[in-house]
This record gives sequence, structure tokens and C-alpha cells, in this order.
Amino acid sequence: MTLLRDSAAVAAKDLRIEFRGRHATAAVLPFAATVLVVFGLSLGPGRTLLQQTAPALLWLAVLFASVLSFRQAYQSEVDDEALLGLTLAPIDKAAVFLGKAAAVCVGLLALEAAALGIVAALFGLSVGHGAPVLAAAFVLGTVGLAAVGSLFGVVNESARARESVFPLLVLPLATPVLIGGVRATSLATAGRGAEAGSWLLLLVAFDLVFVAAGTLVFGSLVED
Amino acid sequence: MASVADPNALLADPRDDVEPRPAPAVRPRNVTRVFGVSPALVRATLSVDRGEIVLVRGPNGAGKSTLLRIIATALSPTYGSGSVLGFDLVRDRQRIRAATEFLGHRSRLYDDLTAEENLRFACRIHRIDGIGVRAALARVGLARGANDRIRTFSQGMRQRVAVARAMLRRPELLLLDEPYAGLDEEAKDVVDELIASTGRDGRTVIVATHDPARGRLAGRTLVLNGGLLHEAP
Repeated sequence: MTLLRDSAAVAAKDLRIEFRGRHATAAVLPFAATVLVVFGLSLGPGRTLLQQTAPALLWLAVLFASVLSFRQAYQSEVDDEALLGLTLAPIDKAAVFLGKAAAVCVGLLALEAAALGIVAALFGLSVGHGAPVLAAAFVLGTVGLAAVGSLFGVVNESARARESVFPLLVLPLATPVLIGGVRATSLATAGRGAEAGSWLLLLVAFDLVFVAAGTLVFGSLVED
Repeated sequence: MASVADPNALLADPRDDVEPRPAPAVRPRNVTRVFGVSPALVRATLSVDRGEIVLVRGPNGAGKSTLLRIIATALSPTYGSGSVLGFDLVRDRQRIRAATEFLGHRSRLYDDLTAEENLRFACRIHRIDGIGVRAALARVGLARGANDRIRTFSQGMRQRVAVARAMLRRPELLLLDEPYAGLDEEAKDVVDELIASTGRDGRTVIVATHDPARGRLAGRTLVLNGGLLHEAP
């Protein structure tokens, strides 16, 4: 219970900072929208091609935008050495990891809802009948991305070349989320959501591994 | 009869049985910290009693911050051992942290939260009642700035908020690393008031500074130079 309470305190703090500053939203949403519009225009007016490529473009936009979100989530901890304050607090450091991941999750889900709206409008993607599978794919995929990003975000803060190190660490690790998310989204939008079970299971397994890994090792990453 | 296996017992002062001397609040033993290949602190041994106010002086790069960060458990010693408030410096970090406040060069505040929100968050993660937040801000002269974002504060005002956080926590051990840097005289007096009130309550304070005009509250001065620690003459 204490772990959950401390995690909620960290998440509430991060969400309040984001709500006030809109640092991530200001950078991430225009970025994702630009990616989708540019790809939509470059693929031409063929509706079938647009609908076939839409799930992959959607997840690529989410993945690249999430990298910006993770960096921003730790920026507020670095600016005035606030991360040291969290380290020196007598709390389980896993609460910091879980709280930051939860806050990033909420932000990314809001971004995904907006991106999905853009894709549905521009690419003519049908989201109606596959909505439950689509929602499951995005929630599970986002939890996995948030776990990876929150775990490696703190490693990145101590790296000298932080701008280049972070994508190198996160993007390869996020590949299973990208594959599972794209496949589940494709099946859901094609009206074959019932066949997406194995891809959703892949996302569940990924989430379990990285949430557990983050909870266990985050403390040793922030400690000297 | 004392056991031969316990040599300290043979040397013990018989008066210890009547009135045991309390363990020192801070007792690092032969602590060395190396960054890469450069030693920042070399075999530092120190004993600070409970209720003592100790000043650590030394030029920039002497190892003052390293010493205080090791005592605060923000850094691990490369070699050496020690205890803080009776707890092992390496094994009992959480227990030391629960009773220690470290105020460094940076105020460790969130720019997009208000002064009051920053203190309330600190209260939550330190498991203390947030009821005194407003009063603490008033004590450091920020009653009217409580709802302003930290982003709009000067360095001196930020440091005052950090001092208010230390007042709220009422730590057993207060560690201040260059607390006067960049402050005007009024803000420096606020820091001195924190040191004085902590000392009055019988709690321990270690202040590292190279400001020659400050530190008059300290009962003892240590000098750190080139990573080596010794008592001031």
C-alpha cells in the first residue's frame, strides 16, 4: 500500500507539472500530427494503401513521440537536482519508477487518442467495431513503452551524450511493442479483432517483464 | 570479569556503566572517495557529537561537498566505513535518510509547482504532516509567495523554500553544503536562523562553506584541503 501511495504522489506531481507547463504536449502532439500528415500526403490518395499502412504509421508516430515524452519526464528532475531529493527520501525507489511510468502512460494515452482521431479522419481508418481490441492494444503497448522509457530515462540522465544515447537504448527494446501493436491494430481495424489474441499476449508479456524489471532495478540505477 | 575476546571491555572507563556517553551523531572512518582516478576525499575520519554545530571550511574542490554527500548517503564511499546517527553508512541508508536533511548548492525544487506544492510533495515523500507548510513559508518570509511558481523565484527565494523544507522536516542531522552561495544578507540570516534553531533543539548540524563571514554559530571548525580533513587550529 505504501508503495502505491508513494507512486501515486510521484505520478500526481508529474501530471501537475505537465498540466502546468505542457512541455511534452507542446512538443509531442505537433510532432505526431506532422508525421501522420506527411506520410498520408506522400502515400497518395489510394484509400486501400492508406488503410493498410495506417496502423504502422500510427505506432511509429507514437513511438517517436514517446521518446520526447520520456526525456521531458526526467527534465524536471534534472533542472534543479530534484532527482537527488527523491533519491534521499526514505521511500522505495520503485515508487519513483512506477509513478513516472504512470504519468507518462496517461500523457501518451491522451496523445494516442488524438493521433487515432487524425488517422481515422485522414486515412479513412475504421475504428468502430474493433474498438475493444484497439483499446487493449494501445493501453498494453503504452504501458510497455512507459515502462521502458521510465527505466532508461534515468540511465540517460547520467549519460554524457544523453541526447543520442536514449533512442539507441529505447528504440531497439521497444520493437516487440511496435510489432505487437501494429499487428493487433491492423487486425482490429480490418474487423478481425478475434485473431489478435496472440499479439495482445505478446504485449502483456512485454509489460510484465519491463514493469517487473523496472520495479526491481530502478533503485540501483538511481543510487550511487 | 571482562572477557579477553573483548579488548575494549578491558579499556572501558568504569564511569561508563554509570553514565554511558551517547554515540557520536556522525562518525565516518577512513572514508575515501575516488571519481575515476581522482581522489576527492582521502581517509577522512570524523566524530561529531549529537547537538554539535560543526563548520567545515576549505577552498573550492577541497572535498567538502563529497564529504557531506557521503554522510547524507547521496554518495557511497569508495573505501572506508562509518555510522550516522548510529546507523551504518552503507547498509542502513534508508534509516539515515529518514532522519537527515541535506541542503546542497541546488534547492531541489520543481519549477512548475508553487512553493506550497513543492513543500507538500516533500512532506508526502518524507511521511510528515503537511499542516505546517504555510507556517514554515511564513518563517522564511515567503507567506505571500506560497502560491507562486518556483520558476518566478530568484535564487535567494528558492533557497528560502529549501530552508522551509528543512524546518518542516526537523531532521536529527542537518547537512548544509555552501548554503550561503548567491544569497543576499537577509537570506543568509534565514539560513543562520535554521542552523541556530536546529542547534537549540539539540540536533546536529554540519555546514560546509568557504564564506569567511559566516559560521559564527559553529562550536568547532574543521578544514578540508586536497581531500584531507583536519581540525582547525
